[in-house]
Amino acid sequence: MIYPEPRFLPGGDRYILVEFGNEMNLELNFLAQGLAAAIAEARIKGVIETAPCFASMLVHYEPELIGFDDLTTELSRLVAGLGPSDALELESRLWYFPAVYLDPWTRACVDDYIAKIAPKTPDWDLMVELNGLRDTDHFVRLHSGTEYWVASLGFWPGLPFMMALDPRAKMTAPKYNPPRTWTPAGAIGLGGASTSIYPEALPGGYQIFARTPVPIWDRTQRFAAFDGSICLFKPGDRVRFVPCSVEEFETIEREVADGTYEYNMVGYGKFSVSLYNKWTASLNAGRVS
Amino acid sequence: MSFEVIKPGLETSVQDWPGRYGYWNQGFPPSGPMDSWSFRLANLLVGNPVGAAALECQYMGPTLRFDRETLFAVTGADMQPTLDGVPVPLWESVLAQPGQVLAMAFAKLGTRAYIALAGGIEVAPWLGSRATFHKAGIGGMEGKAIKAGQTVPVGAAPAAAKPGRQVKPEARPVIATDRRWEIEVVAGPNDDWIDAAGHERFLSTDWKLSGKSDRTGFRLDGPEWSFTEKAKNKAPEHGSLPSNIIDQGYPLGAINLAGQTPIILVNDGPSMGGFINPYTVPQAAFWKLGQSKPGEFYRFKAVSVTEAQSMARALSAICTDTAITG
Repeated sequence: MIYPEPRFLPGGDRYILVEFGNEMNLELNFLAQGLAAAIAEARIKGVIETAPCFASMLVHYEPELIGFDDLTTELSRLVAGLGPSDALELESRLWYFPAVYLDPWTRACVDDYIAKIAPKTPDWDLMVELNGLRDTDHFVRLHSGTEYWVASLGFWPGLPFMMALDPRAKMTAPKYNPPRTWTPAGAIGLGGASTSIYPEALPGGYQIFARTPVPIWDRTQRFAAFDGSICLFKPGDRVRFVPCSVEEFETIEREVADGTYEYNMVGYGKFSVSLYNKWTASLNAGRVS
Repeated sequence: MSFEVIKPGLETSVQDWPGRYGYWNQGFPPSGPMDSWSFRLANLLVGNPVGAAALECQYMGPTLRFDRETLFAVTGADMQPTLDGVPVPLWESVLAQPGQVLAMAFAKLGTRAYIALAGGIEVAPWLGSRATFHKAGIGGMEGKAIKAGQTVPVGAAPAAAKPGRQVKPEARPVIATDRRWEIEVVAGPNDDWIDAAGHERFLSTDWKLSGKSDRTGFRLDGPEWSFTEKAKNKAPEHGSLPSNIIDQGYPLGAINLAGQTPIILVNDGPSMGGFINPYTVPQAAFWKLGQSKPGEFYRFKAVSVTEAQSMARALSAICTDTAITG
């Protein structure tokens, strides 16, 4: 459910968790991101940073500058000012990511897991089976045919938790058990209902089925798209995967290596929750075939 | 100015205080010293601002050679420091001559020692901080613990720097010698997932600090937890275990319940995840975590948010020049 009023829960002496509800629902994340934006706008003295998550948002504050009660009063006021989630318009950049689906690198990784750790249905076949799809072509078309919403970042710095914005492209998958010991950097995977990109070669548990040559994590800070950070995404970004060939992947990989790659980002749009809701309500239930 | 690393010790790293703030929503933790009390005092001794970058030594300290005259101070755990073989007092600023070697050994008392140098360590800041975040390889010296053979840059000594300054005995943290620590906790954010018996058990148990602990999390061994209806009857998207919740932001210091194992999320901890946090250790109690060893025991004491904030204020009031004599 979505709570009529958010709950303000203390996290020690310098954090407040603002909980908007207790279900996995994009609406709650829109509220969390709307509040994060309102806090940034209001420049509340003593707020150090915020971190929106699926159904809640964490606020980090300096108690020497603002007390718990004063801050919750301020936050309630801002929440009231947001109105219903329908009224929200969120800043949202749209990123296009070239990706090779059913690529040789994630295949090798899955084969290695099967050989050394545990037998399993290959990840793309599992996605087809569990989500009632015709074949892997259908899966690729479905996965690459929707925008993804960056709901939150975590687990590893810069690792995005993304939800499909087109409800007809929503898919689910269990996580690996036991987890993988390694995953190729840039692998794209899905666990629960969330899609992610592995920023580096990391252990992991998501089903993997594609790979992008475009880094979302860059210690060398060579690309202006990172806006001064080491990781690319911010909550509220949108992502679209554009299928490409292995040859294109390798060309882009070389451009990334020599620093000439241009990130493909569209930055003029705002995300209107009411238009989004109107659109999803107009859809017939079911899959894009 | 600089010093050379002859032996690195165990995971000795560059840290600053309060660390890397402002990037929690991209998953970057603050990092920084675990015992910020000893850390701040070390900086004050050598005339630095309290937050200047310095070394955190864990369990076994490093061996360093100074290239020129350097004022330094060692605080926190007793790693029996010597300068060219002569014992060096803790909690006091000391002037090293060019070429002299500061050597540290195993921690005899406590776990983490701090070495501050007048002028502070001047590695390049990453995202506004020099603190090392090992897991992602950023900050400090090449993103990792210091290594033998490295030359670590040090800034110009401030005018206030002079040897023989000491921390007053009453301003020093008292490191437990009986292996037992009382750690303050604030209930929440997810305290209503634990039943009354579970809370009672949490607050009346001597929890043992597990060896599987590092700057990401401190694991605790102890009894099982029991839960309220909220944890047992919930929508499937929360996950299958009673302690699972829809992924949420984690406060630093959260006592994160991974299945039945509580893990205190410390300086390099994760920013979010799918487990509940029934309690949170306030910042002013972190120094005790930093000075305890695996195998030692924690007894948790519930305090209010206001009390926890007063503790932080009291600690900041100690960590000023009034703590120093000479």
